[in-house]
Amino acid sequence: MDDQARADAFYAHVMGGGKVEADTWMPDDYRAAVLKFVEMHANSELMGVLPEREWILRAPTLKRKLALTSKVQDEVGHAQLLYRVAEDLGKPREQMLADLMAGKTKFHNVFHYPTRSWGDVGIIAWLVDAAAIVSQQALRDSSYAPYARTMKKICWEESVHIMHGRDVVLTLMNGTSRQREMVQEALDRWWGPLMQMHGPPTDPATDRDLIWKIKSKGNEQLRQEFLAIYVPRIWELGLTVPDTELRYDEAEGRWHYTEPDWAELRNVVTGHGPMSQERLEFRRTNHAATQWVRDAVLGAPSAAA
Amino acid sequence: MNEAPRDPSDETQNALAQLLMGIADDEFVIGFWDSEWTGIAPMLEEDVATSSISQDEIGHARALYELLAGLTGQDADAIAFGRAPEGYRHAALMNHPRTDWAFTIARRYLYETADAVRLEALSRSSYEPLAQLAAKMRREERYHLMHLDTWLRRLAADADAKARLASALRALWKDALAIFSPVPSEDLLVRGGELPEPMDSLRARWLEQVSAVLGDLGLPGPSPDDLAAGTEDGRTRRTDDFRWLHGEFTMVAASERGATW
Amino acid sequence: MSDGSPPHDRVWEVFRQEAEGDPMIHSGNVRAPDEELAMHYAREFYGRRQESNRLWVVARDAITELDDPDLLKPPFDRSFKRPGGYLIKHKLEAAKARAGAAAGEGHE
Repeated sequence: MDDQARADAFYAHVMGGGKVEADTWMPDDYRAAVLKFVEMHANSELMGVLPEREWILRAPTLKRKLALTSKVQDEVGHAQLLYRVAEDLGKPREQMLADLMAGKTKFHNVFHYPTRSWGDVGIIAWLVDAAAIVSQQALRDSSYAPYARTMKKICWEESVHIMHGRDVVLTLMNGTSRQREMVQEALDRWWGPLMQMHGPPTDPATDRDLIWKIKSKGNEQLRQEFLAIYVPRIWELGLTVPDTELRYDEAEGRWHYTEPDWAELRNVVTGHGPMSQERLEFRRTNHAATQWVRDAVLGAPSAAA
Repeated sequence: MNEAPRDPSDETQNALAQLLMGIADDEFVIGFWDSEWTGIAPMLEEDVATSSISQDEIGHARALYELLAGLTGQDADAIAFGRAPEGYRHAALMNHPRTDWAFTIARRYLYETADAVRLEALSRSSYEPLAQLAAKMRREERYHLMHLDTWLRRLAADADAKARLASALRALWKDALAIFSPVPSEDLLVRGGELPEPMDSLRARWLEQVSAVLGDLGLPGPSPDDLAAGTEDGRTRRTDDFRWLHGEFTMVAASERGATW
Repeated sequence: MSDGSPPHDRVWEVFRQEAEGDPMIHSGNVRAPDEELAMHYAREFYGRRQESNRLWVVARDAITELDDPDLLKPPFDRSFKRPGGYLIKHKLEAAKARAGAAAGEGHE
């Protein structure tokens, strides 16, 4: 069978719901698409550690300290799981870390923003994680089986994070007026990035990740799911969402909202967000500072290609 | 199995509270410093392991603060977060920041081995709640000791890593000895069995064990100067690094006193 | 693995047992320079939440894989090897009916 016929058979297989393993023959396009998708996901988990990490030292009670450390630990664990999937597709971890730190590969927008208060810790753990879970649940049936299996584990582990986030927010909302203001202020800042997080709507006819079933839902569908579940939960606490257009249209069966700033999204994910460079620099510095450990324990890699 | 705590005399109770506070603060502060590695440890897999270990320490600190809270009538979080820097009773070893990986492994090695000796003794404490807690902690600490032993040997097997480790140990020995600083009214606790052996005796056993292991690996033990240094302020001397950490961990709680978080 | 990878790093597959008596199930993999650290990391990734009763850690290169469809899904009928290959419903109905009729004839 020549490559074209093989590729045709492969695409028919995945588009028909068939699964692919790491050592299955796959067309270069598919391999590249999965790798790009998984690599960005892995990068995001790794960079996602940084906004919350600052607050590990500042957690105000023993219980919160444990919960937050554990949550951030889980994110690191997820980065490992995802890098492993990507490594088995053929790209070495060291190369992926180098590309991330050099700004050559991307990570999700939300992790390019600063955290300013304990209120952010609650909002991130609750709503940012919620938006991420909506995406992640839709990946549990990915055509690329190692990714699908990993997503099942990740979704199971993430369920704790939302509970933790919601608990933090509820405690603040039931607290003093300053604590409630802290939550509202954090929500006001995070709403924009949250709405951009799932990305602009894509055309199902040309979205290869969707066609090849690497992912099973489009961006807009994910955003609608997020809004459907979480806006009522936000409102029921007496919090306001900083979007006067936000409402559910019964007739259309969808949420209306102010068009997110897609230019901001593009700008941010290409490394121009408020914390993009600082966080990448932080990673570079720490990576360099621990190189001697890896060299000692894993052996120094042979001269770079 | 919750036995009601013995009803100790005031003096014994105070001494016991000081003992507990020292151990709790040791676990609390080392747990804090090492939690800083979360997200930036040398390897992703190791990152998760180090984070678990620091969470265990905080968990142990929590249990100890709760025990202390039972004795003094305060709230565990209030004890953990509510003192000025001078009010903490951790060993001087914990004044140092996380620094680098060699420092972290060296400090943790010195601490965990000392803690193992301390916990073994405390698991024989006449104060039943402490004996039970110490026994529980020892089970978790087994993993810490295994992990540290693994890292110590690996770093010692590489010339560059070994040099860094040796340098860190040399910098830390004097403050590590402070773990076994005498506790106020220690003789009272030893007579009553709450502290089954005096700190001096525990220290001697620890030094014997650790010197043997480090000696085999060609790593430095304490210098004569380290051993001769006084330890009266071993649990009261503080550094700017610790004051910085204190500022961090009290920041949110201090922003609105009395609020629930 | 190619350039950039540390020479002593290996991949270890992790199998876990959920509860006593359950089968060992493949759950994922970790990277480590040797068995000892691999065991520590397996504990972290597949056991730190107290979710496992037992773990196996196996170097990936110790595993021999078979995925050849000619061997695992050969084309000839093998239904005689499975319960589903024996359709007895109608035969059973017929046998019962005959036995019922015979019993009716010789009924006391």
